[in-house]
Amino acid sequence: MALMPKRVKWRKSQRGKLRGVAMRGNEVSYGEYGLQTLGTGWITGRQIEAGRVAATHFLHREGRVYIRIFPHKPVSAKPLETRMGKGKGDPEDWVACVREGQVLFEVGGVEENVARSALGRIASKMPMRCRMIRRRHGL
Amino acid sequence: MSNVQLKAQPRKKVGTSGSRKLRETGVLPAVIYGHGEPPESVMLDEHEFVVAIGHGARTMALNINGKESQFLVKEVQYDHLGKRPIHVDFVRVDLTEKVRVKVGVELRGVPIGVSHGGILEQYLAAVEVECLAMAIPETLHPIVQHLDVGQVLAVRDLVVPEGVIILNDPNDTVAAIRTLAEPVEAPAAAEPGTEPQLPERIGRVRPEEPAEEEKKK
Repeated sequence: MALMPKRVKWRKSQRGKLRGVAMRGNEVSYGEYGLQTLGTGWITGRQIEAGRVAATHFLHREGRVYIRIFPHKPVSAKPLETRMGKGKGDPEDWVACVREGQVLFEVGGVEENVARSALGRIASKMPMRCRMIRRRHGL
Repeated sequence: MSNVQLKAQPRKKVGTSGSRKLRETGVLPAVIYGHGEPPESVMLDEHEFVVAIGHGARTMALNINGKESQFLVKEVQYDHLGKRPIHVDFVRVDLTEKVRVKVGVELRGVPIGVSHGGILEQYLAAVEVECLAMAIPETLHPIVQHLDVGQVLAVRDLVVPEGVIILNDPNDTVAAIRTLAEPVEAPAAAEPGTEPQLPERIGRVRPEEPAEEEKKK
């Protein structure tokens, strides 16, 4: 099942704008390797879940996959064949707003070539270009 | 690699705009502080610094206006992609004085426990050490090949060079081989045509408005 919040204060939100780059959440913090986005945009809960499934299936329950983003934002849509007006549509999807540089997923407990393949599979499920990064141990 | 020598010049362009202009020309803005003296804004060649830091240098000799002094690299700020350094903090240091710094821990080897169905998890990515400024280890490389399922690597098991003291609690766990939890059955996907599950509303929920026909009445 796609990710979504358990409780929300407001059912619908405005679309908003994504300006700037990720100045937080842009380093590998939990695992050894991470998937960093090179674009800005929305990632739906379904896409995040698809990435997680792709990586865990590939890893055969070896190592660990960390998800660093969560879809907090509701996106509403009008039903098909509906005339315009009559108010805002119902929430249809939940998305995570990510900026360039955000680390989306992390993998730990596996070797580099395995992690690269797993993160590559996740990247193919993402709606923007991504790259693999390593944890910075020194300065 | 502690005897790196770099050239630096005093910097007049300060602030976001000034620093940005310097970076466009391949110059890295930096600041020097410590030892009770006033802070100084300096700039140095970005490429030279990247090469030095890539070789694991933690202390550097900066030549400012012909006067050479030793400095400890306190912090390096990187851009949002983690590729280019954008600013460096140097601390005035005497190579024979003891300093406290954080040193990364990079695990080496594949543990036996992994082949027995466990997962290697690292809980501590860096440890705080106290040592001479000239003897700061670049990274600690504990070997974890002997770890089996349920075993842990604690701070007391880390091997450090002579003269280096780890300040963390010796009983802190650096890494462990964890057994896999039983897989949790994912909830079945909603059947098509059924109402999608919605999150719970926080706070007072306004009662639904009456239908339009009722309004007309």
